[in-house]
Amino acid sequence: MAFSSSRLPSVIQALDTFSRRVCQACSALSLVMVVVMLVIVVLRYGFQMGWIALQESVTYLHGAVFLLALGYTLQCDGHVRVDVFYRRFSPRRQAMVNFWGTLLLLIPVCGFLLYYAVPYAADSWALMETSKEPGGLPLVFVLKSLIPLGIGILLLQGVSELCRSFLNWRYNTEVQ
Amino acid sequence: MEWMALVLFACVCGVLLFGYPVALTLAGVSLIFAGIGALVGGFDASYLTAMPNRLFGIVSNETLIAVPLFVFMGVMLEKSKVAESLLVAMAALLGKYRSGMAVSVVLVGMLLAASTGIVGATVVTMGLLSLPSMLNRGYSPAFATGAICATGTLGQIIPPSIALILLGDVLSSAYQKAQLSMGIFSPDSVSVGDLFVGALVPGLLLVVLYLIYVMVVGVKSGKSDDAAMNIDATATASATEEPEQSLFSALVPPLLLIIVVLGSILAGFATPTEAAGVGASGALLLAAFKKQLSLAQLKVVTMDTTRMTAMVFMILIGASVFSLVFRGFGGEELIHGFLTELPGGVFGAMLVVMLVVFALGFILDFIEITFVVVPIVAPVLLAMGIDPVWLGIMLALNLQTSFLTPPFGFALFYLRGVAPPTILTSDIYRGVVPFIIIQIVLLIGLAIWPELATWLPETLYS
Amino acid sequence: QDNTQSNTTAAQAAPQQTYEWKLVTSWPKNFPGLGQAPETFAEYVNEMSGGRLTVKVFGAGELVPGFEVFDAVAQGTAQMGHAGAYYWKGKMPAAPIFSAIPFGMNAQEMNGWLHYGGGLKLWQDLYKPFGVVPFAGGNTGVQMAGWFKKEINSLDDFQGLKMRIPGLGGEVLKAVGGIPVTLTGGEIFTSLQTGAIDATEWVGPYNDLAFGLFRAADYYYTSGWHEPGTQLEFLVNEQALNSLPSDLQAIVKVAMRAANQDMLDEYTARNNAAMNKLVNEHGVTVRELPQDVIDALREASAQVMAQQAEADPDFKRIYDAYQSFFAGAKTFHGMSEQAYYNNR
Ligand code: NA
Ligand code: NA
Repeated sequence: MAFSSSRLPSVIQALDTFSRRVCQACSALSLVMVVVMLVIVVLRYGFQMGWIALQESVTYLHGAVFLLALGYTLQCDGHVRVDVFYRRFSPRRQAMVNFWGTLLLLIPVCGFLLYYAVPYAADSWALMETSKEPGGLPLVFVLKSLIPLGIGILLLQGVSELCRSFLNWRYNTEVQ
Repeated sequence: MEWMALVLFACVCGVLLFGYPVALTLAGVSLIFAGIGALVGGFDASYLTAMPNRLFGIVSNETLIAVPLFVFMGVMLEKSKVAESLLVAMAALLGKYRSGMAVSVVLVGMLLAASTGIVGATVVTMGLLSLPSMLNRGYSPAFATGAICATGTLGQIIPPSIALILLGDVLSSAYQKAQLSMGIFSPDSVSVGDLFVGALVPGLLLVVLYLIYVMVVGVKSGKSDDAAMNIDATATASATEEPEQSLFSALVPPLLLIIVVLGSILAGFATPTEAAGVGASGALLLAAFKKQLSLAQLKVVTMDTTRMTAMVFMILIGASVFSLVFRGFGGEELIHGFLTELPGGVFGAMLVVMLVVFALGFILDFIEITFVVVPIVAPVLLAMGIDPVWLGIMLALNLQTSFLTPPFGFALFYLRGVAPPTILTSDIYRGVVPFIIIQIVLLIGLAIWPELATWLPETLYS
Repeated sequence: QDNTQSNTTAAQAAPQQTYEWKLVTSWPKNFPGLGQAPETFAEYVNEMSGGRLTVKVFGAGELVPGFEVFDAVAQGTAQMGHAGAYYWKGKMPAAPIFSAIPFGMNAQEMNGWLHYGGGLKLWQDLYKPFGVVPFAGGNTGVQMAGWFKKEINSLDDFQGLKMRIPGLGGEVLKAVGGIPVTLTGGEIFTSLQTGAIDATEWVGPYNDLAFGLFRAADYYYTSGWHEPGTQLEFLVNEQALNSLPSDLQAIVKVAMRAANQDMLDEYTARNNAAMNKLVNEHGVTVRELPQDVIDALREASAQVMAQQAEADPDFKRIYDAYQSFFAGAKTFHGMSEQAYYNNR
């Protein structure tokens, strides 16, 4: 399948490792999310207790889970494709699709999103923005920062995919 | 410049066929169009500055928190081999009857669908486990693969279902918008819970129709063969137990989960999101009881959950860029004008939408259609007085059909991936045809008797 | 084009520039009452300016989500917004003072404070760092306490009460033993109907009838202690406002002021018609919260407000101003409005 990692330029390997590690870390949060949700239900229905902050923490966990995993999901080819034709392409042809797609679609999209999302998060940091609910988590700036962070990781993974697909396409490095 | 909106849509569909990830294609092509529109006039570039706000809207959407929780539950159940035990036990019990194996497949499919329902996982599990047994029993490859594909998609329509959560989120705002635009200031609301309840009768009806079909055909082609069954009882620890006993122990976990999750939603103890949290915890517990819960296992489950969640939300992000640009070109007004001026009024509009959704189902999957197409057409349809629960179930059923429809149905790909090479792709295509006909029959039935979807929610909540 | 007079200035002689503004709102498009004000405003402006300034109104989520209206106006995505100040508490802890304070001022007093008591100046100063200029954008009048599935006979019935009630009201509820719950709009009705929550507040009879809440709960309690006259707001991007010629600026301001009054007028007319319908056609019983509950809520409100003031200097400064105006208004209204209500 993929060519051996020793022949990968180190930049690809470094970026791949980075997004994988981030995803591994944030995947643990999906378990935390399940547990916190259970705690909320038990507290509310069993003990007549509830905190807005606890309720909001699920939103934070949720945001972290899906945003920080965008990059690794790209690495695992986990983002849905219309693969009617794609699955019948040769690996080289697939690499070509991925090269041009990454260059013309992924990188501009991430660049565009970052261009607006970074100042958006920065403004929130400047205010140390808190929840709009009294008793909510005072960490809205963290939640907002997850957006450029997640997109940034996706962009970095995109660079890795660009390199990989370029090698596979132009130099036919893929072991068939 | 409104026609640009249609060109945009056509271009997105065209570029999608190259096979680059859908979410990025949606967003990327839209941005290119926005750039051109801004340069030549006809697109107000300040629309694009709304993007971070829209992203934050996605991050803070509370309805969609149910998605990763239900995904977690589904993946956990799959990894803890609940489906396998069920299938083996059910086959052991029913295998002695001529159509027993096929009936088992449908029943197990229904139980899995009602306890979670991730199409890919169900089709793959059943394909690995029951396809060889069904072939051993003399079922034709077409019949066996068709039954597995079809029952694997039941999770879409039988609650709890990710498809219904996503539809519920989109429909609830569309419904409010539609009613207010009609000047109805006594708007009803529709929630994910309403859709779950509404889907129950049509979902069960679908199971009944499947069962009738497999019994009729199964009796003709299947043979009962206990010997064959013992061979297929692959990799099961419960092979030593009595069939009834193992069925009981296999049936209890999913039934408990169904009661906890669906029961608490139906009885109003909990919102769908809360029920999803409880269901996910329940799946965790069951895995522990079945001694399937290790740290390594947990890592696999959380990684799968995370990746699937990221996939869903990446599409939501891409669809959000698309709909912003589509709106910026005035596309929404265009669709509104087109649908309201169709001859045939409500019926004509509904028919066109259903056909378009069915056709789009060839290339897009349910998440993309829900996020891209439904927000555009639903407000118009609902403003014509269509019931939102009925519309939701019709769409869900329609989208479920597209999972099955050759040549691009996702269920077919999943099964193709695990079926032995001796099974021809054309067998699979032929096998699903009767099930697609059943789906269409049910769709027509639902169109004639909307009460099939609307009766239960109305009765339960009044 | 129609400037043919010889004595016009150069600026007026140039072809008249037309402006197209976007107005984003926190409400679904055409939402009764709250969503009417921006539409009314847009009509006024269009007519008064002879089409030189047109305003396109977007419902929540159409361009930006409802809770992102402030950011959208600040960053210039839209020139205007229509929302409620309590949504911006996370940016400015003092913001909720300009929408609703439990046991605070009613609509009449709020309008008096804003326009003749220095309130609007404080409000505009608060938003100034963001380049956003707030104006009064309507008032709902006194709201209702909400819809309850069970009778409230004493403070004990509030213990563990799961109620959807946002903002400072939620904090107060918590302080007396209830559980404030946040729910999305679509979940409220079903959650109340099925009993996932015990109570919800919404707006007043007009919106509550519209939302069909009478079908989900039997008891309709008064008064809206937590929102005694909720003030809505128009937000205008400062740069956009300043870039308008002075006559259009005046038109925008006058139209906002008129729309502000119009909302209260509409609620006054529709609320009593709706209440009539609720009671006579739907058999709803309206009850008053028991005195011990009201007393406890009032006491808890004072504590919650004191906590807020302690945590944020802006809050303290503005709340003190609010309170000093309120004290005067309360004294006088005790002699006038209240005395008259008792007499008529
Ligand atoms: Na399901
Ligand atoms: Na209210």
